[in-house]
Formats: sequence, structure tokens, C-alpha cells
Amino acid sequence: MTFDFALAWTSLPALLNGAWMTVLITVSVMAVGAVLGFGMCLVRMSRNRALAAIGAAYVAVFRGAPSIVLLYLVYAGLPQLSIVRDTPLWLLFASPLFCAILGLGLNHSAYVVEILRGGLSAVPAGPVEAALALGLPPRIVFVKVRLPMAVRYGLKAYQNEVLIFLKSTVAVGAVTIADLTGAANEIFAMTYDPFTPLVTAGAMYWLLTNGLRLGFEALDRRLNRHLAATVPDRRPATVRRSRPGLSLFRQPLVRRLPAKPAARETH
Amino acid sequence: MGLLAYGADGYGDELLDGALVTVQLAVFSYLLAAILGTLMAVLTLKPHGLRWMIGRVYASVATGIPSLLVIFLLYYGGTEIVHALLAPFGVEERPAIPPMAAAVAALTFVYTPYLADLLRSALQNVPKGQLEAAEVLSVPRRQIWLKVLLPQALRIAYPGFVNIWVVLLKDTALVSLAGLTDLIAAAKVASGSTREPFLFYGVVVVFFILFSAATIRLANRQSRRLDRGVRASEA
Amino acid sequence: MGPALPIPTPTPAPQGAGTRLRTRAAIELRDLRKRYGEQEVLRGVTLTVERGEKIVLCGPSGSGKSTLIRCINGLERHDGGTIAVNGVTLEADGRGVQDVRREVGMVFQHFNLFPHMTVLENCTFAPRQALGLSAAAAAERAMHHLARVRIADQAGKFPAQLSGGQQQRVAIARALCMDPRIMLFDEPTSALDPEMVAEVLQVMEELAAQGMTMLCVTHEMGFARHVADRCVFLDGGEIVEQAGAERFFVAPESDRLKRFLRQMLH
Repeated sequence: MTFDFALAWTSLPALLNGAWMTVLITVSVMAVGAVLGFGMCLVRMSRNRALAAIGAAYVAVFRGAPSIVLLYLVYAGLPQLSIVRDTPLWLLFASPLFCAILGLGLNHSAYVVEILRGGLSAVPAGPVEAALALGLPPRIVFVKVRLPMAVRYGLKAYQNEVLIFLKSTVAVGAVTIADLTGAANEIFAMTYDPFTPLVTAGAMYWLLTNGLRLGFEALDRRLNRHLAATVPDRRPATVRRSRPGLSLFRQPLVRRLPAKPAARETH
Repeated sequence: MGLLAYGADGYGDELLDGALVTVQLAVFSYLLAAILGTLMAVLTLKPHGLRWMIGRVYASVATGIPSLLVIFLLYYGGTEIVHALLAPFGVEERPAIPPMAAAVAALTFVYTPYLADLLRSALQNVPKGQLEAAEVLSVPRRQIWLKVLLPQALRIAYPGFVNIWVVLLKDTALVSLAGLTDLIAAAKVASGSTREPFLFYGVVVVFFILFSAATIRLANRQSRRLDRGVRASEA
Repeated sequence: MGPALPIPTPTPAPQGAGTRLRTRAAIELRDLRKRYGEQEVLRGVTLTVERGEKIVLCGPSGSGKSTLIRCINGLERHDGGTIAVNGVTLEADGRGVQDVRREVGMVFQHFNLFPHMTVLENCTFAPRQALGLSAAAAAERAMHHLARVRIADQAGKFPAQLSGGQQQRVAIARALCMDPRIMLFDEPTSALDPEMVAEVLQVMEELAAQGMTMLCVTHEMGFARHVADRCVFLDGGEIVEQAGAERFFVAPESDRLKRFLRQMLH
């Protein structure tokens, strides 16, 4: 059980290649999740009962299913449909990378729906009414008042979700993509040294998650600078930051619960 | 639907065996993590000193890397790790580590700090008066912990604990990549040979949704019992 | 008293869904009705507010006074009767609401400033978005009104950095930036610490002195005596009594008002 620095050095390019794939997938999934999540959140919160039910089903299925299963479904399942097989869509679904981003994106977007919905419903009526009373059109009130406040409320939960799904990108190995974990595995298969590649890969993951976390915390400080004063935090207790500030050994928290106890969440 | 039948023609028995592996894995890992997490919470209660620092480093590592990586590490390197741990005591053993043990150990390693953190902040939220009241009644220290502080902290941490359970349950899905024949692996084999991915992966999705829903229901019923004697707050 | 400022000259209301009536009243309510499920909150309120008139609306909690003024700018939809603001009718289905809101400014009990915007942004937001003013023009207008409520020096701060009284004065300035011809106040001092009430009331009194049409829900009797042309007592969703301030407080007629005033003094 030794760490082989020479091996770590020579395998660095391969691991960095894998890390690049992990980053690429993470960023793409965040983009897909933001777009799909925002759209489906509007569907989920629609006054139309049928639409809202579709939104709820979307969340239940894509949040309840482990992401690896969604990957298999997209990669192995969708090409069986003739609409995919017999049209140019086939070109997209033949790409494991596309399938991975779509599969993880569906899972991630379902969490985004719930985070955004939680944020939107946490926005107090007061500022929204004030904006309406000023004669602003409802669309502007939503975009400029309700949404910015909701984003601030949801930022912490979103951070937790992104950190968790970054770690869940290891599932892309299931559809033959060589990400950081895949690269480490390959080096193990060649050298029969499990420790050096896996520990090096672990260090890279640690840097990625913590870098992302520090980025989120900087964003949080920027967006919430209006609360930086000494005035007590009046936001609802559920969205208050538990321990503000920058500390390297703070652990990312956990995703919200699916299904019913939506009001109960950690921090 | 005959494909889901039990026996040689269907994949019902394979799927059921796989589901059993998934459930066992989740339950064992969670129970171990809960026990070790409680221990860790109590040991790292004061936010300073060596124990706390070690706890923070461990938590940072465990929560900063994917659990699959830890599973691989323990699966491929477990024999060597056990050997290295036993060698100082003069035991020269190189036991083979079964995949199930590696997976349970890895998930326990990853989820212990999550549960510890929940319980620690819950312990810090138990009113100080509770400890003082028990002390002035000269209740023994062990009893204060077991009968006064931990039960109250558990009630506070309960929703978070349920939360982690669901996250862990879904995280077990990755073990198929390390060669364990869990529900996912069974579904993969079945869909590969029958070319019915929707059917089999659909079954998996339904299993995960229903199983987490059922356990959450159970947990909520339990939480109402824990809430006995507590006045509901305004929210 | 602050500097006297010209009252914005009335311009014809924009033609929209609302219909323009021939009337001189600023607000005209006829038989206004509103119910929440089973409960009837307003049971036929008829009230006319003339241009430039200052009216104080009071009554026990749950009497419907907040609902009444929230109906006037369409934050609540009324179920029956008619509402006309500067001749623009507000339909029960919400037609005309944007036109009415351009005419009417509102100040809330809990200020309701936009927490993520600075004081200045709070004031320039609506003029820029709803009136299409340029950033510079909106800022100039905002600074003018912030100076009017004596808080121009805080323009760069966020609401959370201000005291309650300061926040409420910003809220008044924010409403004034839309050049409303009528101001509604919904218990503007009820959420304030006692030492901050005076600074807000003073701004309101100055506004009154400059000729603004005002409809205020408030229990500040000193303010009512100084400023109100008429006091209206609402109880159980109907107007029980209305009179000039002096007679209202000194010689109330109905028993309900007498009882209410007795409780107020305690």
C-alpha cells in the first residue's frame, strides 16, 4: 500500500484528460439543467391542473430514479424508438456524450425544478405586491423582482445539488465515457496499482468540488451583499445561510428529499 | 410481461435477487454510518482541538470525492489496506475482500460524516438548560447522553437523516459499475439479452421511487412518535 | 415643513381598458363588495374622495379597511359594486387595473422595498420599466423625491441597512417617483418602533400640505386631526360613521365608534 509518485507523475496527463471530461460534462449538465429546470418549473407551477400534474410526474420520475438508470434508458432505450432510430436524431443518440449529458441533465433538472419552486414560493408577497402597485406589468415583476429573490433563496440548495451531481458524474462510465474515474481505472488495469491513480483522481475530485464550492460562496456573497450589514437576517429560516463565510473544511450538504416532506430539508 | 416472470423464462428472480442486494447494501451501510456518525458527532462536538480538526479533514475528504471512487479503492486495494493495518500487530493476512464488503465499507466511509454533521448541529441546538437540569439532578453522565441529549438531538436531526437515507439509497446504484450484481446490474443483463430496456429499467425506476416513498412514509410515522410531547411551532 | 413643490398638473389618463367617466372625484366607490369564501369583508361601501382631499380610514382589525384600499388599486379583486379612480373604472375582472395603478401610489405597512436593490434602484426601477425613462432621467427624478423625504444621502444603501422609519420614507419616495395623483397608505406607521413614527408622519403631512389626494388607513389620531379633511370609521365591512376630524373624535355619534375610540385611548 504505497503511493508511487513517479506513476502519479506519468499518469497525470491521462488523469487530467479524464478530469477535463468530467468538467465538460458537469458544465453541460448545469446548462441543460438550468434551461430544462426553468421551463419545467413553470410547467410544474402552472395553474392548469393537467400541466402541473405533468410537471409533478416529471419531477417524481427524474428525481426519484438513480442517474445511472436514466443514462441506460437514454443510451440503450431511446434508440429503440423509431422516432429516434429512423430520423437524424439517431446521430445525436449514437453519441455516448450526448446521452450522458441528457441523462444526467434530466436528473439534475428535476432537482432544479424543486429548488426554484421552493425559492419562488419563499418570496414574500410584499415586494411583489409593491411592484404591481407601482403599475409594473406582471412579466417584469416576475423577471425583475420575484425571480431574482427566488434565485437568492435557492442558491444554497442549488450549490448542494451541483456538488452532489458533480460527484454522480462517475455514472457516465456506464455508457463508455472515460471520465476522471474511468481514466484512473484504466491506469489501475495497466499497472495493478490501485492506490496511486485512485488517490490522485480523488485529489482532483476534491479540488473540483471545493473549487466549485468556493465559487458558489463567492457568488452567494455577491448576490446577498444587500444582507451584509449588521441588520438581522429576516429571510425565512429555511433559506438563511447557516454559517456564512469562507472555510475550506466546510462540507457540502445534501440534496433535498424527494416526494413529500418538501418543507423538511437539511439547512 | 412474461419477461418479468419467475424462473428460467423470465427475469423476475434475477431482478428480485438484485433488489435484495441493493436493499441490503443500503440498509447495512446506513446503519453503520448512523452508529459511526453518532460516535463521530459526540467526539467532535467542541469546535476546536485535535479531534475536531481530524474530523473536519475526514469530512472534507469523504464529502469531496465520489463514493464510486472509494468503492473502487476498497475493492481493488482493500486486501492491501487490511494487510497494512494488521501488519504492525504481526498478523500476515491478505484476506480477499468481497465486493459487497467493499461497497458497504465505502458507503459507510462516505456517509458517516454527513450524519455526524447533522447530529452534531442538532446536539448544539438542544437547549443548554437540558444538560444543566440533568446535571443538577445528578444523573450519571452516560445517562444524560443516552436518555436526555441524544433523543432530543435525534428528533431535531430526523428530517436530515431521512434525507440522507434517500440519497444513499440512490447512490447504491453505482455499485454495479464495480461488479456487484445489484438491481441495476440485473436489469442491464436482462435488457441486454431481451432488447427490452424500457421494461427493465422502468421496473428499476419504479422500484426506487416506490421504495424511497415507502421508507419516507415509515419514517414520517416514526417521526410523529418522536414528536410526542413537543408543541408544534408556528411553521 | 419641507420645500413646497409643485403638484404635478393632472394630465388625461391614458386610454386603456378602463372607461373614462365624467366626474371630478379622485376615487369613487359605489356599493363595493368583497368576500373571502364565506366571509363577507366589505358589504357595500360607498365613498367618494374629492381631488386634493385627505381621508383617514380607521376601524378595528378585521373591519375591512386594508381590503378596501387594496381593492382600489386592484391588489384584491372586488366582487361587486364599482370602483372609479380619476374617472377610470376598474372592472371586477381586472380590466383597467394598469391604468388605475398609474394614477395611484401605495405605501405598505411593511414597506415592501425590493431587498436586492439599492435605495436608488428601488426608486428608479418602476419609472424605467413602466414609464420607459432613461437611467439618467429616472435617477434624477428619484434623487428629487429622495431629497423630498430627506433620505437622499442613503441612496446607495440597501434597504436592510436602513432603519424602519428610513425604509418607509424610501417607500414613499418610490411611490412618488411614478407621479401618482392619489396616494394610498396602509397603516404606514404600524410596523415602526415608536421613535420612528414621527419622521414618517412628518413626511406624510408635508405631502398633504402640497395638495396630494390621500387615503390613509391609520390609527395615528394626531395625524388625523392635523391633516384629515374627513375621518371614516369602518366596522364589519361597512362605513358606520364619517365626519370632519374634530367632530369625529370629540363628538362621535354611533356607539361602535365611541367604543372604538375608548379602546384606542387605552
